[in-house]
Amino acid sequence: MRGQVLSLAVVLAGTLAVPLGLRALNGAVPGADVRDSYLPTVETPRPREPFDQAAADAVREVQPQFVVIGDSMAGIRIDPLQLSRQAHRQVVGLYQQGSPVAYWYLAFKNLAVENSLKSLRGAIFFFRDDQLTTQVQVTPGSLDRVARDHELELDRVLAANRLGVFSEVHRAARSVYQFDRTRTWLEPVLLHGPAKLAARTMPAPGLLKAINTEVFALDRLRPFETADLAASQGGALEFQANVGDSLLPEIIRLAEGAQIKLAFIRVQRRPAAEGPPPQSPELTAYVNALKGYLEARGAYFHDDWGDPDEPLSMYADGDHLTAEGRLRYTQRFSERHARFLQ
Amino acid sequence: MIFHSLEFAAFFIVTVTIYWRLPLAAQNVLLLVASYVFYGWVHPWWPVLLLITTVVDYWSARRIAESVSGSRLPAPSSRKKWLWLSIAANLGLLGVYKYFDFFVGNVAAAVAALGWNIPPIALRLALPAGISFYTFQSMSYTIDVYRGHAPARRSFIDVAAFVSFFPHLVAGPIMRATNLLPQIEQKRTFSAAAARDATVVIVWGFFKKLVIADNTGVIANKVFALQHPDFFVLWAGVFAFAIQIYADFSAYTDIARGVAKWYGFDLIRNFQRPYLASGPADFWHRWNISLSTWFRDYVFIPLGGSRRGPGRVATNLMITFLASGIWHGASWNYVLWGAYHGVLLIIARAAGDVRASLQARKPARPRAPRWLRPLQVIAMFVLTCIGWLIFRETELTQLIADFALVPSASTAIERSAGIYLFLLALLYSTPLWAHDLWVELGGLDLTRSIDKPEAWVPWTRALAQAALCGVLFAVILTLRSQTALNFIYFAF
Repeated sequence: MRGQVLSLAVVLAGTLAVPLGLRALNGAVPGADVRDSYLPTVETPRPREPFDQAAADAVREVQPQFVVIGDSMAGIRIDPLQLSRQAHRQVVGLYQQGSPVAYWYLAFKNLAVENSLKSLRGAIFFFRDDQLTTQVQVTPGSLDRVARDHELELDRVLAANRLGVFSEVHRAARSVYQFDRTRTWLEPVLLHGPAKLAARTMPAPGLLKAINTEVFALDRLRPFETADLAASQGGALEFQANVGDSLLPEIIRLAEGAQIKLAFIRVQRRPAAEGPPPQSPELTAYVNALKGYLEARGAYFHDDWGDPDEPLSMYADGDHLTAEGRLRYTQRFSERHARFLQ
Repeated sequence: MIFHSLEFAAFFIVTVTIYWRLPLAAQNVLLLVASYVFYGWVHPWWPVLLLITTVVDYWSARRIAESVSGSRLPAPSSRKKWLWLSIAANLGLLGVYKYFDFFVGNVAAAVAALGWNIPPIALRLALPAGISFYTFQSMSYTIDVYRGHAPARRSFIDVAAFVSFFPHLVAGPIMRATNLLPQIEQKRTFSAAAARDATVVIVWGFFKKLVIADNTGVIANKVFALQHPDFFVLWAGVFAFAIQIYADFSAYTDIARGVAKWYGFDLIRNFQRPYLASGPADFWHRWNISLSTWFRDYVFIPLGGSRRGPGRVATNLMITFLASGIWHGASWNYVLWGAYHGVLLIIARAAGDVRASLQARKPARPRAPRWLRPLQVIAMFVLTCIGWLIFRETELTQLIADFALVPSASTAIERSAGIYLFLLALLYSTPLWAHDLWVELGGLDLTRSIDKPEAWVPWTRALAQAALCGVLFAVILTLRSQTALNFIYFAF
């Protein structure tokens, strides 16, 4: 019996101990000693683009009273110069096309709150539907230009969102085994081997790039949901279940600390010919819960959904407005939200 | 709760530690509570359905048994009534959650084709994971009691623990009452040797899931997201999916068997190197064995099995495989997939009959030469992959377009992309192929050892197991897919 228990202990110990050899491998392989990212719990060590100090300096030079933050939904709706003229306030747009909430958070933190903007009064976030709480995850590199060397709060929130209550275990495992560092040199070796065999006339990186940009180009994809066998169901629109692991509390905390007003504008998606865009009861409930949450914390909330002043004729492609629509929207925005812009 | 999560690791350590300190009755109560917690972890209402199934089948089996024991002596028609109640309740639950929208949608389409328009009705219910597995397992209990193959149990706790036993609850293997219930009722003792061998199987299962299945699954998902794939990319995606579904499903079984062993239970094997099958019948003796045998025992044989003429046998086979196809999901591609395998079996059976009659005429004629077997295996794998294309492609118009693809229409970059994706899937699956070939040729089966744990093993074996688990764990940490995919069979 004792021998059996010992052999079980040996197997369990071996399972946990052998991967420590990855550290030795990392030490032996040239180029494997890359730095941790600013998101050490959730992201593999990798080279990064530097923080965009010039952008931070440019914003500081303007000393805006309001910043408008978001992705193309904000950029295609608000012309900062026009809004500055109409509201008689200095407004700067911190837009990034296709950016996630984490980008908005970092732009707010590093380009506004912690950028010595002495006259900053408010920040206006534009978003679609459930974007504020569900699109929290990030792809590597997408935040580099707005991230400092250490983004502990963002790392904490993303880790909790992705890894739950066990994020500390993940952090410890990454630190002890250093498996992410192994991945940074091992994975390219694995990917390039088959690529060299598949295309002898083309270098492996060239083939991989061509596969991504030509074979799997976005315009060659069919609607995602029909292709995903294991698509998740439900859950995403439960506001209360998601808000705790989102960046909203952190954005509000930052604003409170800096005594900055916050506004959240839910943009209207492309309307139908005969009226507002369709909206499920679940999404309506979600938006109501979001509104209640924000207003209870002193933030301003406005929902563009069903606005008769935003007919289909204002839209170009998708949820984007035409250039003329942008001018009209900006004008309406300054009138409708004049009190906030005071 | 899913196996590859730290929540499960904590859940497992806590429950197994408490479990072995309890007497038998308390162990079963703990198993029952743990199973309901496991199942309701994300969706707390799912266990309600599980409880309904359990109560109906427990009650039906009791009533059937009472009529047999003679204490109340209801008529045989009464026994049948209780059996049908159980079957109707289980299939009804499946029907509502899995097939209602499909059925109504098809009826509406058929009526619309005749020129009548009816308002669309759809329940749009989320399919509870594992419902197809536990309803079949639970239903088999009442059928076995009805047939006299198993006694009806008095203990509701034991029956409920049997239906809900969490290691295999969500994706099988489907256990019979005659196999699992006696294990629940008998005293179990902790065996460190069994736990040691179970650990190897669990780590191997995680490796198959997180490294092989999820990485090849990413390839398959990308390919099946294309609107107009070319020949090479499509079939590379099909190959990747073939690897994914085998690695994914067999991984779940391995983890389930390993975890169950830690609690002192033996679950049956569900896979025996299916891609090394030499023909359709051989394939179904190796793939999802618990489901195949379930359909054999509860559908094929009651229909008459192989006892009647060739035409009737072919009909029985086709019905059985159509039922197996629709069991997988409410979609015509699954029905087609079942029909495809039914046809393959019927053809293989007919060819076997012809061969047998030829051998009867010329008794000296030798059996198929050994060199032919690798070719048979490759041919069967190709046929299996064609089946997987039908299985994976949910749009029928797209499926027709897929089968119309020809290699000559591909561009050079598409050809290279297809070859690259194929090689990448092959690379990720090399350990799986190597293991299966090794075992097929007579080597030690990693997953078999837990069926007969050896109390004493040489230290060299224990050290080899430790090294193997450590290396597998290191590769899991390093090369696990960055995209976490659910177990495929959760969707069924």
